[in-house]
Order: sequence, then structure tokens, then C-alpha cells
Amino acid sequence: MANVHDAERMGNKPHWEPEDVIGKMTLSSLLFSNDYRHIAIKGMLTSVVMLGLGGFMALLFRTELALPDIQFFDARPYMSLMTLHGMFMVFGFIIPFVISIMYYMMPKILGTDELLWARGAQWSYWLLIIAAVLLMISRPDFTWTFYPPMALRVGGDLIWMGYLAVVLVAISEFLAGAVLLKNGMAAIRRIGWRKLPLMGWGAISEGILLIGATPILALVGIFMYTDWAQITAVYDPSRGGNVMTFMFMFWFYGHPAVYLPLMPAVATLYTLLPRFLGRPIWSYWSAVTAFALLTGLGFVVYPHHFQPAENVSGMLQRTTQILTLLIFIPSTLHVFNWIATLWSDPIPASARRAIPFKFIIAAIFFLMLGGVTAYLNAQIAVDGDFVHNTYFVPAHFHAMFVGFMGNMAMAGFYYLYPYFTGRMYNQALGNTHFWFWQIGILTKVLSMYYLGFNYFPRWVVDYLDLPQWSMPQMMLTGAAYLIGLGFIVFVLNIMLSATRGTIAVGDPWAIDDEDTAGRAQPVSAE
Amino acid sequence: MENALGLAGYQATMMIIVFAVLALGVAALFAALFLPARWRLPYSIEFLFVGLLLVMVWYGDNRSAEIVAAYQAPLEDEGVLEIGYDTSSGDFDRVTRVLAFQWGFAFINEDDEISRNATIARPGERVLFSLFANDVIHGFNIPAAGITAEFEPGVERDVWIRAPETPGRYLIQCLNYCGVGHAQMKAWLVVEGDEAKAGA
Repeated sequence: MANVHDAERMGNKPHWEPEDVIGKMTLSSLLFSNDYRHIAIKGMLTSVVMLGLGGFMALLFRTELALPDIQFFDARPYMSLMTLHGMFMVFGFIIPFVISIMYYMMPKILGTDELLWARGAQWSYWLLIIAAVLLMISRPDFTWTFYPPMALRVGGDLIWMGYLAVVLVAISEFLAGAVLLKNGMAAIRRIGWRKLPLMGWGAISEGILLIGATPILALVGIFMYTDWAQITAVYDPSRGGNVMTFMFMFWFYGHPAVYLPLMPAVATLYTLLPRFLGRPIWSYWSAVTAFALLTGLGFVVYPHHFQPAENVSGMLQRTTQILTLLIFIPSTLHVFNWIATLWSDPIPASARRAIPFKFIIAAIFFLMLGGVTAYLNAQIAVDGDFVHNTYFVPAHFHAMFVGFMGNMAMAGFYYLYPYFTGRMYNQALGNTHFWFWQIGILTKVLSMYYLGFNYFPRWVVDYLDLPQWSMPQMMLTGAAYLIGLGFIVFVLNIMLSATRGTIAVGDPWAIDDEDTAGRAQPVSAE
Repeated sequence: MENALGLAGYQATMMIIVFAVLALGVAALFAALFLPARWRLPYSIEFLFVGLLLVMVWYGDNRSAEIVAAYQAPLEDEGVLEIGYDTSSGDFDRVTRVLAFQWGFAFINEDDEISRNATIARPGERVLFSLFANDVIHGFNIPAAGITAEFEPGVERDVWIRAPETPGRYLIQCLNYCGVGHAQMKAWLVVEGDEAKAGA
């Protein structure tokens, strides 16, 4: 299994010239052009707005949680903020952001310079915008998991818009999946599966996940609406429905949903790492195998999300536990591959300076921090003790969503920045953003793990004044403000640098290994 | 750490494994970034690595299954409570029915007396909780006992614990979001000492 893949196929080449794409765009082209760069830029910038909105909501409810007792919000507005925060961050920020980065990179890396069926991506974008507006109007307060019958009995008269928004999100993601799968499969036909760049494998995995999971989410949204309107009684037990039907249907989407931002983030990492290091990934086939295993297992482990329920027992519970433990392996293979790549040769000075590279390293760190605790989450006995629905769960997914995927979204954005503005970002502001985020995210995640270990329940507006609860909550709020500050620095950077940044010429990421010459030569084990 | 079955060390072992794996990973990442020595790993090392991960999977699955079997086997079965105990199975010192509702808990004892948001036990007693709800899905978590259960409307769920040996008040809470009053869904397991018994 020698590594015969050349640098070009591994994404290790300058993909295109820096250009002021944004400066040449009109309002009309920004809104409706099917040029893949325009769609991707629109998606990324909208995601930044969604990140700002979702983050602002987080700061509001984090301020409430800094101290025990009720200070600013009653339970209902608090839960609305929390629900919208979750939905905006997952559906509005992280998934569309990393998919937009894929839209931009994929046509160049796969050699087409166009996004096949870009119209689908356009529709996907606009449906998501409509869904976001409907969500804001409906102001749901039942969390992003909207368990019935609770979710059928809360909310105002406009809550039906929330259910419609769920259906639109499903259709939007389905269309995005179709676009990615079409482009990935077309690349296989053109290039051959043995030579397909890892970005292509990422697109195929993501497409399969989206197309496989989202129809069920659409059905869930439809049945929630028809149950709410008392047309059907699929989920509502008071009228003969079954809550467990909802649990199995919702989490059939809900677990793959976790991988929806993961796959593009991983594919982006596999593309950027060789680009900054100037050498191929350590093992191409290990990466392909890990993509395939994550995609397959991603569809079958979902009952672990509700295994403290009595219906998940016996053989189903044990099988779910084993499969969930096994999914630990492909994720670890990715990390192993990246570290082996980093270790194989000296790291160029240009990489060490580059802001995207720093975000990549931070992302790998947080994937380990979040991923390793999945070993605990997967075990039924631990899950039934201090994991299930305590802060241990948000600790795990914030490490993954913000620490890994959020950092990779930023790595991709900073990397692409000179290609769509024609200018470089400000290095000092980039460094400030990087460190504010990493310190903030690490403090946040560790505080959440600690709270979870001390059985702090999720989704509460108020809590007992216990020392093991109140101090970490205060730290968590401080960390959230630091992340918010980092976001402001990021927005300032991208706005100011678009007009005042150094003009990018040639290859902005050309490898400069001036300070690696004196280092020890690699020890080859081949 | 000790869970409801009196099994010390299981979670601690798992935490140590997790910390060890994390420490190894972070050390490898930092070494790759900052050590001058470079090393091209042979591909065969990945098979060894996967082998180690499979051992972890096997160990985690078996240890967890052992604990779960003790919780979930029919309570009447012979030997179910043998782990950590030498008493016969299914013989509870106290049986309490628990009605979870939006938003609180009602505890009904064997004399059909109802108390809201507090239930009483003696140190070390084996207490069976029969959980039920009529409105929405609720959770039932006693951190001191290390146990969590979820139950949907219309389904009765049995869980049991051994009450803590130290008298005092122990938190009971809902862990499943059940509406805007979810944060209020707290109750207390009051473990009475000898003085309380003497007073009674």
C-alpha cells in the first residue's frame, strides 16, 4: 500500500489565482448567479451572519446562566433563545458554511471549474433563508429536538411555521446533497475512483448522508404539523400515537446530522493540510476507508441518543453500543493520518505563519478532545450515569461542532479569502481571532465537561447554587464572551482587509521552508 | 465513584482510558509540531493501532454490558443483585411510585401517602421506584446513585437504587427537556439517620 498518489491529486497545488471576485459581483449576481463562486461566497457570508445571530443569542442566555436564580429572562424567552441558537448554529451556520467551502473548492480540485447542477445549490440556499425567517417568526421554545407530545403543546399560534421550517431545511439539505453527490460521482467517472481527490470522497460521503437522512426529517416535520393541527395522531400518545415512532424517525436524521458538517470539514482538512505542508497525505486509502466507515455507521448508531428509554433494550441496546463504540475507529483513523502527515517531514515556516494552518491544528486538537469522550458516551452504563442529557453532551458536541468544525470553517474561509477578495487578511487580527477562539472554546468545553460530570442538567434557565455548578457556569459565560470578542475581531478583519489588505499575487500559500533547512532529516521507515 | 449497584471503579477505569488516549494524541500532535525529529511511519503501524482500538471497543462493551445486565435483567431473576451485594434479588426495602408531571414529581409510598418533591429512605435501603407520567416524556436522575431513566406517557418504568449510607438530602432531577418549567423539576431523596428514626 505504498503512497503513490501525486501531489496534484492530493490537492497539493495552487488551485487558482487570487482575484477580487466579490468586487466584480453585482447585487443581482450575488443573489441569483449560478456561478459556483458566487453561490459559495453568498453561502459563506450568510453563514457568518447566522453565526453572529446565533452567537448573540448564546451571549444573552449565557448572561442569564452566569449566576443562579432568574436575572434577565423567564423560562419561555430563555428557551426560545436557546432553541433558535441551536437551530441557527447547526442549520444556518456550520452545515451551510462548510458545504459552501466545498462548493468553492470542489470544482477546482476536481478539475471542472464549474459546479454541476448549481441551480440545485441555489434553491438549497434560498429555501434555507426562508426556513430561517419562518423560524424567527414562529419563535419555537422546544429545543432543536422538539420531542412530542411536549412540542405539540407549546408555542404560539404561529408555531406551525416552525414545523414548516423543518420541512424546508430538509428539502434544502437534500438538494445540497444531490449537488455534492452528482459532482462527486461525475468526478469518479472522469478521473476514476482510484485517483479521486479526497475532497471528492468527502462530497460523495456528504451527499449520501444528506440524501439518505433528510427525507425522514421532512416526514417528521410534516407529521408534527399534522399532529399539531389534529389531522393525524402519529406521535401524540393522548390520541393514540406513539412517541417512540418520533424518536426513531427523528434520530435517524439527527445522528447523521452530526456528520453533515463533519464530512466537509474533514474533506477540507485533507485538502488544505497537503497544501500548506507541500507533501501528500500520509495514507490516501486510510482516509477513503475512514470516510466510507463513517458514512455507513453514521446511519445505524442513532438509538444511542435515547438509550435510557425502556424501548432501547436487549439486543438493540447492545448492538447500538457496539456500533457506537466502533464508530470511534474511523474518526481516530483520520486523526492518526493527519498527525502522521505532520510528522513525516519538517513543517515549512510559511505553514506555521498561516492563520488557516493554525486553525487546522486547533481543529485536530478539538476533534481529539471531543471525539475521545465518545468512548464514554457510547457505553450504556456511563451514559445512564452522568452523560445522558447532562452538560456532558453539549461539551462533546461543542468540542466537535465549534472546536473542530467551526475551526475548520474558519481555516477554509481564511484560505479562500485571497481568492475571492484579491487581498490578504490582516495577520495580527487573524492571530487575535485565533487565540480568543481557542482559549474561549477550550474553557467552554472543559467547563461543560466538568458540569456534566457533576450532573448539571441541560436546558435549564435556573439552577441550584451549588459550588460545583455556579463557578463553572460563570467561567462558561466568560468563555462565551471571549469567543464573541474573537468573532468581532474576525468580522473587522474580513471587512477592513477586503479594501485595505495587502494585494495577493501569485500563490498566496507558496511554500517557504527557509527555517526548516537546518532541521533533522526525516527517518524513513519505508 | 460508586454507582447504585455499589460498583466502584468502573467509571474511573473508563475515565483513565479516555484521559490516556487523549494525552497520547495531544502528545503526538505536539511532538509532530515542535520536535525537530521527523519520522515517516510505516503503513503497517495503522493495523496495530486499529487492533488496539478494537481491544478498547471490546473492553468498553463488555464492562458496560456487565453493569447494564445487573440493572436491566428482570428483578425477580435469581442472582440479579449479586454484583456488590449478597442479598437475594427482588426483595426491596421500600417501593415508591413516582408520578412525573409538568413540572414536578409526586412520590406515592406503599401506604398510598403522597408527598410532592421529596421521598424518604433509610441509609443503605434498596428502593424501587416505579416511574410513570401522563403528559410528556420525562427523565428521572439521582446523581448520588448515578442512575438515569427516561419514560414516555403511559409506560411504567422500574428503576432501583441503594440509598446512600450518609443521611442527608440528595437531588432528584428531570434530565429530559419537558417544557418551560423543566428547570423546576427537582425533588429530594431524604435519607434519614438513626436520630430521625428515634424521633419517629
